Amino acid sequence: MKPVSLYIHIPFCASKCAYCDFASFPGREGDWSRYFDALWGELDGWRPALAGYEIRTAFFGGGTPTLVSAEYIVETLNRARRMAPFADDAEVTIEGNPGTLAPEKLAAYRAAGVNRLSLGAQSFDDGLLKSLGRIHTAAQIGEAVAMARAAGFDNISLDLMYALPGQTMKQWRETLESAAALGVEHLSAYSLIVEPGTPMAGRVDRGEARLPDDDAVNAMQRLAVKRLAAAGYARYEISNYARPGRECRHNLVYWDRGEYLGLGCAAHSLVDSRRFANPAALDAYLSGVRRTGETRLTRRDAMEETVMLSTRTIRGLDLSAWRSVFGEDFAAGREAALRRLSDAGFIGIEGGFLRLTGRGMEVQNAVVLELLGE
Amino acid sequence: MNYDQSRIRNFCIIAHIDHGKSTLADRILERTGVMKLRDMTDQVLDSMELERERGITIKSKAVRMPYTAKDGQEYELNLIDTPGHVDFTYEVSRALAACEGAVLVVDASQGIEAQTLANVYMALEHDLEIRPVINKIDLPSAQPDVVKGEIEDEIGLDCEGCPLISAKQGVGIDDVLEDIVKHVPAPQDDPDAPLQALIFDSYYDNYRGAISSVRLKAGRVKVGDRIRMMAGKCEFDVTEVGAYLPLGYSPKDELCAGEVGYIAASIKDIADIRVGDTITLANNPAAEPLPGYKPVLPMVYCGIYPADGADYENLKDALEKLRLNDAALSYEPETSVALGYGFRCGFLGLLHMEIIQQRLEREFDLDLVTTAPSVVYKVVKTDGETVFIDNPTNLPPVQEIDWMEEPMVDAQVITPQEFVGAIMELCQDKRGTFKDMKYIEGGRVQLKYDLPLNEVIYDFFDQLKSRTRGYASFDYELKGYERSDLVKLDMLLNGEQCDALSIIVHRDRAYPRGRSIAEKLKEAIPRQLFEIPIQAAIGGKVIARETVKALRKDVLAKCYGGDITRKKKLLEKQKEGKKRMRQVGTVAVPSEAFMAVLKMD
Repeated sequence: MKPVSLYIHIPFCASKCAYCDFASFPGREGDWSRYFDALWGELDGWRPALAGYEIRTAFFGGGTPTLVSAEYIVETLNRARRMAPFADDAEVTIEGNPGTLAPEKLAAYRAAGVNRLSLGAQSFDDGLLKSLGRIHTAAQIGEAVAMARAAGFDNISLDLMYALPGQTMKQWRETLESAAALGVEHLSAYSLIVEPGTPMAGRVDRGEARLPDDDAVNAMQRLAVKRLAAAGYARYEISNYARPGRECRHNLVYWDRGEYLGLGCAAHSLVDSRRFANPAALDAYLSGVRRTGETRLTRRDAMEETVMLSTRTIRGLDLSAWRSVFGEDFAAGREAALRRLSDAGFIGIEGGFLRLTGRGMEVQNAVVLELLGE
Repeated sequence: MNYDQSRIRNFCIIAHIDHGKSTLADRILERTGVMKLRDMTDQVLDSMELERERGITIKSKAVRMPYTAKDGQEYELNLIDTPGHVDFTYEVSRALAACEGAVLVVDASQGIEAQTLANVYMALEHDLEIRPVINKIDLPSAQPDVVKGEIEDEIGLDCEGCPLISAKQGVGIDDVLEDIVKHVPAPQDDPDAPLQALIFDSYYDNYRGAISSVRLKAGRVKVGDRIRMMAGKCEFDVTEVGAYLPLGYSPKDELCAGEVGYIAASIKDIADIRVGDTITLANNPAAEPLPGYKPVLPMVYCGIYPADGADYENLKDALEKLRLNDAALSYEPETSVALGYGFRCGFLGLLHMEIIQQRLEREFDLDLVTTAPSVVYKVVKTDGETVFIDNPTNLPPVQEIDWMEEPMVDAQVITPQEFVGAIMELCQDKRGTFKDMKYIEGGRVQLKYDLPLNEVIYDFFDQLKSRTRGYASFDYELKGYERSDLVKLDMLLNGEQCDALSIIVHRDRAYPRGRSIAEKLKEAIPRQLFEIPIQAAIGGKVIARETVKALRKDVLAKCYGGDITRKKKLLEKQKEGKKRMRQVGTVAVPSEAFMAVLKMD
């Protein structure tokens, strides 16, 4: 059976966070049922194309998938299983907001086969949470984790954010320590990216919010690596840390350029060397628009993506896989660049893998451009 | 109107910059009805966007106008427009050769200025009838009688009864036209002699091919004639002859001796038309070509490169086309380690250089990288050989140089008295030698200095402007070469010399220049993966150093839900950005950095 991963987007939120430019739509409760009908229709439509495939990982992302009634999630999973069989050890994740959980919901997810919970914690500082527009408090994060444990979740992840306006190094350290103290299996630490058009961008433009400089951001990032390592979480990707064996298999599919099918509004897919996506606008999705911007990847695209994505991981770029996929030696023609990057401590080549060092990851874009020979 | 040479008046308008030449030309076009009022935009003859923007006249043009004079006769007036700036002396000279008379416009409040004199001398050289006109009499500060006296004293022209006008308000325009009809001599050329047509301008028209602007000094030419370029030796069949209107062409059956107009002959290769050449008929050629123009020597050189190497051919075509109607522009291919393939271009002066660059960018839609301007240095080598160097990169090794000489100019600054101190200080700073100071009309002072041309092309104009709030006028003329203690200043990026950034500079100036360029480069070069030392060096000895710190952070963390499009777009953008940069060794240098070096504080 060919492996495939499944991403399902739930574009609903209780309210929009200040930094968010994802496809999420607060106040559209009236559209939930229409949305899931459309989603299920899309799911059913894929069944013939997925013959011979086995679903290894599934991921409900958002938005806030835990916002909608659990029945929607349960039914979606039922239909997904009819579309293609799930592997016995399939990783099934649902993302959630700590302010939207309830024991019944969690129990329903468990019963339907959800075995991983990823919570948007972001910070353990109530002031920062408020300034981000989060609907929950720091205390609710701990309560949510406890609730999930009680429901039987043994694989829990927390998302954290740094490089926030006004965030001190101390606040960040405390957030890291609080998160680790909850004993979750996995942590993501994302640097704030101010996206144009968000309320956060407005604040920055108006001078109301001041972003930390690059050196401060790097320092926060390094602190995360250090603190989390001490607490037993190893960094396995630029923004991701896990206890041994608890890496998010779904996300690894993205970095490894495995095949994945994205369903729902704004969901992206990589199937059969083609990338395509559903429209990001909810109304366009509801009116039946699907599979836009389809591109068939050229060999060159595949090479660029491989460099760009694999170097995000600690494992790095698999040089022998490169040779067998592209029929050429990665180092050929890149000798000078590789030597320069390696001498300067941005990359290391060991055991058949090219990987970025901690310093290299801080400037991954620039390193990738060098590796691509641009 | 039938051909009658006695009714033709070929004239130009000469003036110091800003004395109202273009405005008067507009009024004349309006008055003679060639342009309807509603068609008039300010300064019609300055059709190039750039000219309008800068309020200066760059290219010469000719317009034919019918005019019924007070004597009841109809005349054919040919107005040949000329550039006013000192850089464009050559073009003025070409235009003057096509005329019998010149209207000298003098500002009633400013009086005679540097270029008034320069233009008058040139008109006298061409034996033109000069007709003074006092303009801007509407200004409160106008002193027409004082100015008249000035003209009589300094130029020796009779100002008795000269038109007092306000071109801006349309006052006195008829007087100017009557004065032209009465006093500018009609051409006295022989229409029955073999054709001699002087090419005083040329340009490329997409439909007609290369076109010659001509003044017929003898004979006739019509459609179907086989013409020969006397110097160029090539022959063509005439497809169209005619006169210029302000906004287009007016084809005619033939052009006759004494007339001004154009000849089109489906000339595809623009190099076939040489300004200054004489056109004659193939089957009845003139015995002699008309006296040509004195060849011009460019004073300032710089390298011009396409920002995108793929545009090299386009840049070449564009230069060819510009060269066609700008005889003073010279260029030849050169290569630079840092910039690739481009051209070494020669210009009459800095303004000329700037205008060519802008015309290339605007009219031909090219992105350019320009190197610092250089003058032509004379290098006497130890083996006795003398070489002229217009590109610092070509300077022989120091041990082969016996001595170097640099071009000097006779500079003249005319300024209100209050700025004399500031100007003297500036000229001193610029290694100038004081020659003379004299008080002239209107409480102004004329200062004369010997200045090295390489200081003049550096930031002299900007400095002069800012130190005198724009009140001083400046003019210069090449004087000759003088021995000088010159050195080549090199810029090193990450230890590698960047040829496009080398300059030749006086030893005393090398340190501040080196430091300033290093600072400018530091600002212009973006942070990269590696720290970039920037050094200024003279013959291997580092005299200034700056550092571009290494990039601290450059990563996009989110690829949420397998959406890698954002990251791809960012990478594409960065790739594009890098494409627009030049690789100097391991350092990517943006095009702007090469320009930044030109702009001084």
